[in-house]
Amino acid sequence: MNEILRLENVTKSFKYKTAVNNISFSMKKGEVTAILGPNGAGKTTTISMILGLLKPTTGDIKLFNSQSQELHVRQKIGTMLQEVSVMPGLTINEILVLIRSYYPEPLPLKDLVNLTGLTEQDLKTRTEKLSGGQKRRLNFALALAGNPELMIFDEPTVGMDITSRQRFWQTINTFANQGKTIIFSTHYLQEADDNAQRILLFKDGSIVADGTPQQIKSRISKKAVSFLTDPEKSLEILYHHSEIEQIFRKNNRVYIYSDHTDKILELLFQEKIGAHDIQIESGNLEEAFRQLTSENKEAI
Amino acid sequence: MKAFQMQCKMEIKRVLRNRYFVFWSLMMPIIFYYIFTNVVNTNAADPAAWKAHYLMSMTAFSVMGSSIMTLGIRMVQERTQGWSTFIRLTPLPDHIYFSAQMVGQSVIHILSITVIFLAGAIINRISLTPMEWFMSGLWILLGSIPFLAMGTLFGLMKKVETAAGISNVLYMVLAVCGGMWMPLEIMPKAMQSIGHWLPSYHFGSGAWEIVQGGLPSWKNIVILFAYLVVFMLLSKYIRRKQEAA
Ligand SMILES: Nc1ncnc2c1ncn2[C@@H]1O[C@H](COP(=O)(O)OP(=O)(O)OP(=O)(O)O)[C@@H](O)[C@H]1O
Ligand SMILES: [Mg+2]
Repeated sequence: MNEILRLENVTKSFKYKTAVNNISFSMKKGEVTAILGPNGAGKTTTISMILGLLKPTTGDIKLFNSQSQELHVRQKIGTMLQEVSVMPGLTINEILVLIRSYYPEPLPLKDLVNLTGLTEQDLKTRTEKLSGGQKRRLNFALALAGNPELMIFDEPTVGMDITSRQRFWQTINTFANQGKTIIFSTHYLQEADDNAQRILLFKDGSIVADGTPQQIKSRISKKAVSFLTDPEKSLEILYHHSEIEQIFRKNNRVYIYSDHTDKILELLFQEKIGAHDIQIESGNLEEAFRQLTSENKEAI
Repeated sequence: MKAFQMQCKMEIKRVLRNRYFVFWSLMMPIIFYYIFTNVVNTNAADPAAWKAHYLMSMTAFSVMGSSIMTLGIRMVQERTQGWSTFIRLTPLPDHIYFSAQMVGQSVIHILSITVIFLAGAIINRISLTPMEWFMSGLWILLGSIPFLAMGTLFGLMKKVETAAGISNVLYMVLAVCGGMWMPLEIMPKAMQSIGHWLPSYHFGSGAWEIVQGGLPSWKNIVILFAYLVVFMLLSKYIRRKQEAA
């Protein structure tokens, strides 16, 4: 069985608001998927429905071909929720021992500590005395405790410092290489670009883009070639080439927008423009994100 | 099974680490007991009977307190801190979680009963028959069930502060009006007639009967049971309303 997760025509309506509107997607084993989207786009609602914390108003969700409440499903998933969760009154070590006892084949305690960067000192600390970032690390360790097949993380790196964040993605990549299926939401686009093979872009409860980071970037962002040249030099000679969509000067630098940047380079040398300090700008994810989630839909 | 044992163990650890519990459920009752049987002269007609009677009062007071306060407050805490949600996502079945809480709570009660009984036996050389010790302890253990149900009612509240505040006040009112601090017989008539309908009075009364060589009356049992049913229905009703909202 290759398909780990499937959502079919899932909608969630709250009293005054449709938070998720008729979405469908599926995930194969070993896929690492990022869920992106502005605040209120429906990311947490979707994740909550996948986990069985919320019931879809209509539509169907299957994990490992079963309902999420089933025991064998619960044994195979690990989660970090958007809200930090801890159990008061126990030390980190005790909580880890406790949660590990729920699973048939938990990860060894030592591995959990190494993978999440918890320190000896952290282990002895009671949860009510932890800092925000330490709580996050604990939550990460709890998510991994059962050695899950499928990991579901809602904004996992919020509140982590740079080192913890690096450690987090290192660990995630290790698991991805082992063939684990991972789905996470984030507002840090670079994280999605670096770590996900697939991006689901949410907007107003719908999925407005679904593809590899590369595909999404190339779908909407304009590419450009820019260079420096003698301000006296006329560029008229370039104007009649059909590959060029737009050309303008800004602070002595010339910008040429085109989908075929290689062709433009060829032209620059053919026409002997005297271009130097040439830069090729292919769109970044941030630009793509802005265009796809902006109010006017023409961009798509 | 491993999960169940581990869960029980951790529940017990958590209660013992709670300073409120150690103070209100162990230290306070013992201090009170010492004061009202040794320091203050109560002019009891039969000092030995009074000492046994008051030991039951204080033990019942202690167990009633941890039933009402510990469980409820912990439920609110776990909910507000997202722990209840997290637990729902793990493979731990709900009934294991619930029964571990109950077992943990019972172990704690047995511990409180043992500690306070021992303190009483040492402080005042109380001599009861082994059967009386056992029966009164068992009564207090089982009689606390309606108060546990009451605790789950507070557990449905939104904030820890409200739950702690209200349950604490109610706990004190029940203790005083139910004759746990002072016997009902020395209170004004009006107080007495209210007291006779409170679960705390019947909870204490069963134990008082036992140490005087009797047995809890049917009325004790029926009224405690009635309160249990009311609290459970109420809790079910509120939960349903909260889910609908
Ligand atoms: N329990 C609820 N009752 C009513 N409306 C809700 C509820 N939960 C979420 N919503 C609404 O549904 C929409 C989607 O919320 P959701 O939490 O899924 O967004 P999100 O994409 O996770 O946002 P963020 O990036 O801020 O975490 C929001 O407009 C929110 O106000
Ligand atoms: Mg969210």
